[in-house]
Amino acid sequence: MANAPLLDRKFLERLERLTVHWQKSFPGLVGGHNRSRLPGGGQEFLDHRHYLQGDDLRAVNWRAYMRLDKMFLKLFQVEPRVPIRMLLDVSESMASGDGTKFDFARKLAGALCYVGLVRLDTIEVLPFAEKLLESKACGGGRHRFTPLAQFLENLKSGGSTNFLKVAREFLNDFPQRGLVIVVSDFLDEGGCDKALQYLADYGNELMLIQLWSDDDRTPSWTGECDLIEAESGAKLHIHVDAEARARYTQEFDKFAATIRSVAMRNSGRYAGIPTSMPIDEAIFGKLMQSRSVA
Amino acid sequence: MFLNIGFGEFLAIFGAIAAVSVALYLLDRNRRKQVVSTLRFWVTPGLPSPVTRRRKIQQPISLLLQLLGMLLLLLAIAEIQFGGTARARRDHVLIIDTSAWMRAGAPGRPNATLMDLARANAISWLRAVPESDRVMLIRADALATPATNWETSHVTVARAILESAPGETAIDIGQSLEFARQLQKQAGSEGGEIVYDGPGRIATSEVDSAAVNVPILRYLQVPDVAENVGFRSVGARRSSAERDSWDVLVRVRNYGKVARAVSVTLNLSHAPVGMHPLTLAPGSEQETTFTVRTRAASLVEARIYPQDAFAADNYASLELPTQRILHVVVYTDSPDQWRPALGADPRVAAEFKRPGEYSPANDGLMILDHFRPQALPVGNTLWVDPSDRSPIGIKERVGEPSGLRWAADQALSAGLREHDLQIPTTSILETGGNDIKVAEVDRGTVVAARVSPDGKTKTIVMGFNPFSGSLKYELAAPLLLANELRWFAPDVFRDVDVTAQSAGSVTDTVNGTAADVKVITEAGTNLPFNIRDGKIQFFTGTAARVSVISSSLERVYSLTLPGMWDEKWTAPANIRRGIPAWNDAIRRSTELWPWLALLGAAVLLVEYLLYGREMSALLRVVRAHMEKAGSAAKAGDQAA
Repeated sequence: MANAPLLDRKFLERLERLTVHWQKSFPGLVGGHNRSRLPGGGQEFLDHRHYLQGDDLRAVNWRAYMRLDKMFLKLFQVEPRVPIRMLLDVSESMASGDGTKFDFARKLAGALCYVGLVRLDTIEVLPFAEKLLESKACGGGRHRFTPLAQFLENLKSGGSTNFLKVAREFLNDFPQRGLVIVVSDFLDEGGCDKALQYLADYGNELMLIQLWSDDDRTPSWTGECDLIEAESGAKLHIHVDAEARARYTQEFDKFAATIRSVAMRNSGRYAGIPTSMPIDEAIFGKLMQSRSVA
Repeated sequence: MFLNIGFGEFLAIFGAIAAVSVALYLLDRNRRKQVVSTLRFWVTPGLPSPVTRRRKIQQPISLLLQLLGMLLLLLAIAEIQFGGTARARRDHVLIIDTSAWMRAGAPGRPNATLMDLARANAISWLRAVPESDRVMLIRADALATPATNWETSHVTVARAILESAPGETAIDIGQSLEFARQLQKQAGSEGGEIVYDGPGRIATSEVDSAAVNVPILRYLQVPDVAENVGFRSVGARRSSAERDSWDVLVRVRNYGKVARAVSVTLNLSHAPVGMHPLTLAPGSEQETTFTVRTRAASLVEARIYPQDAFAADNYASLELPTQRILHVVVYTDSPDQWRPALGADPRVAAEFKRPGEYSPANDGLMILDHFRPQALPVGNTLWVDPSDRSPIGIKERVGEPSGLRWAADQALSAGLREHDLQIPTTSILETGGNDIKVAEVDRGTVVAARVSPDGKTKTIVMGFNPFSGSLKYELAAPLLLANELRWFAPDVFRDVDVTAQSAGSVTDTVNGTAADVKVITEAGTNLPFNIRDGKIQFFTGTAARVSVISSSLERVYSLTLPGMWDEKWTAPANIRRGIPAWNDAIRRSTELWPWLALLGAAVLLVEYLLYGREMSALLRVVRAHMEKAGSAAKAGDQAA
């Protein structure tokens, strides 16, 4: 339906009890909801340390100084405000076939943004294909969701994927560490594991969400076919039989395992979601199982 | 056999379609294009890539299904029929009875007529006719009239059936069947049924002609009840005995099978004249006569009581014309000689005057007996022995002339054959070239007539008085006078008969030849007629008022009574009867093409679902779930 909203009202209401989670401790100003092991200007006492010149005198434990005649500084635990950045793949491969991947990716991105908005997180959506495209930052509560939804609805697919170039641009533009959510099919002829590793190596926590359509994993067609790659237009004339299809699925699963391993070895999260799965099942099933949201 | 194309054409078309289909199949199946997200998993390094095969038929079942589907569709288009020409397209003729009797009420159905039953029968038969067969509807009464062309649109025929209404005449079944047979013959295609839909009530004269030899005849009999008493005819003629009187002769028939007692009433200008009770035996006719007195034009209405199911023949009306009188003024000194002759005819009003009372005014006929007026009279005049100053000059007077001869070709001398008539004295007339010589003797003309150049004034001069002396005892005298009076005023002396009878073909006796007779309708138009053996015959298909005018007689036919029948038609024994049953020969129970078309479409749909480029969503989901379950089981096995 052309005028159907990106996400319906009932589903958004169900999302309000969720929170976007990350595991790493990031520095930052108070205001977040994930505790950090780094001290900061919080309310809850964390530790003492010796006073060093230049420290804030307001944090000196004056009682200890009176008793021990030494100046100790009180350290407090902080729940910092961590930037969440979502890399959304809008390349041509996302729209290949029946285009369900692109629609599903936009819905998923919208749902995660709504979860972040409800918890007053700041999320920046960064569409990408060969390079980073115009982004949209949002924060400040659920009432800011509508402009974001419109932004997602207006996105168009196109171009080929270049993860390495995108990662470089991203690291240049956003040096502050944070949670990086990548929603993509990760189908890059140049490979994506190196680029993802870059993102992790720069201190970002990765949340990798791999989308695939049914035909991406288990092709339904058989016989002799001219296969045309959506992004490059490359052609392959092959004969597809049951054996070839099984081998194809096997290779696809291996690829998905590679993506997963990149996330796991960098203390990130991974979720592989087929587009035939309902969006609510993907959020409350796959993403909760991977502890991406809770 | 194929109805639309020949077997060779069928093979050629199917061969071409099959060749194109196989070629397209090879091209299409081997060139299936599929846009995919990536090719990397098809050409993974270290793994053998899928085999690229030569172009050949990879899915023979798909091709066979396509060919089968197209074969079935082609068979449907070709309208294959089993059973040869017996099941070919046929032309049927439906004859629906629209005779006057169809107005009669249907037995056991108070608000329905026989026409309603006939229409229902016709529609039921039409439903049984295959759609591909052509049908022509004929409305049959005295004439068989095609109501439609050869129609394959049964809706058009059904509409014409519903628009059919009873006429005024009786049906001529023989003529209708023969007409239908000729139409089928001219159509040139496979002859179908000729269907007669009606009660089969015919005139006795049609019994032989109705047994026409029709190849396939079906009789859709409309049940009727023949208990009916009605007028056969009502006629009025001027009374010969009494001035201003009319004799009205009424003929009533009992068409039923039981004796009926009825009353026939007659009204003159809405005033009752009389009522005659009649008891009619089954199938019999009776006549009864009324006498009505009127000089003015009047309406005579006859009714039968009690009414029965067919009310159309229980009422008849006649329009009596005005009775005209010829006013004759006779200037004579011997009125007693003329009075018996002129008083014998009620249509003559004679007035006898002395010559001294002479007045030239004349509104009818003036007879001048031995009288020579100073002022010549105006209008028609009969001069009797005028001696001199006659319109036709007097040559001489002779006594006891000999050699009397009557003109043979003149109306004035009609019936006069006496040659030995003893005329005491007579004047010999000097006739001109335009004068009509009625009687001559050896010395010359003794009776002559003249018509003025404008034709308005007629004059007769008689050289002798036919009612003087011994002549008055001769038959020739009054006959001559009667001829003269009729010649002067033919309208007055022309006999008038008024008859009410049924429309259709009318046959009656007539005097004269075709040149002397006119048949004109109420609107004044001439109606074609035929005279043979002293009988005139003409035809009107609708109710009309027709006048047959001859020299001495005018008959007015008020053709307003419905044309009735005499007996029931006995249909041949070997004909088809009733609405065709489901297994009747007329139905083509193996009408295959719709089923072939459906089957062909179904086969093509199955092929599309199984092998089509775009698999249906249902099949895709089913296949995905099956593969998902298979892979889960495989993973479980590996984990174990």
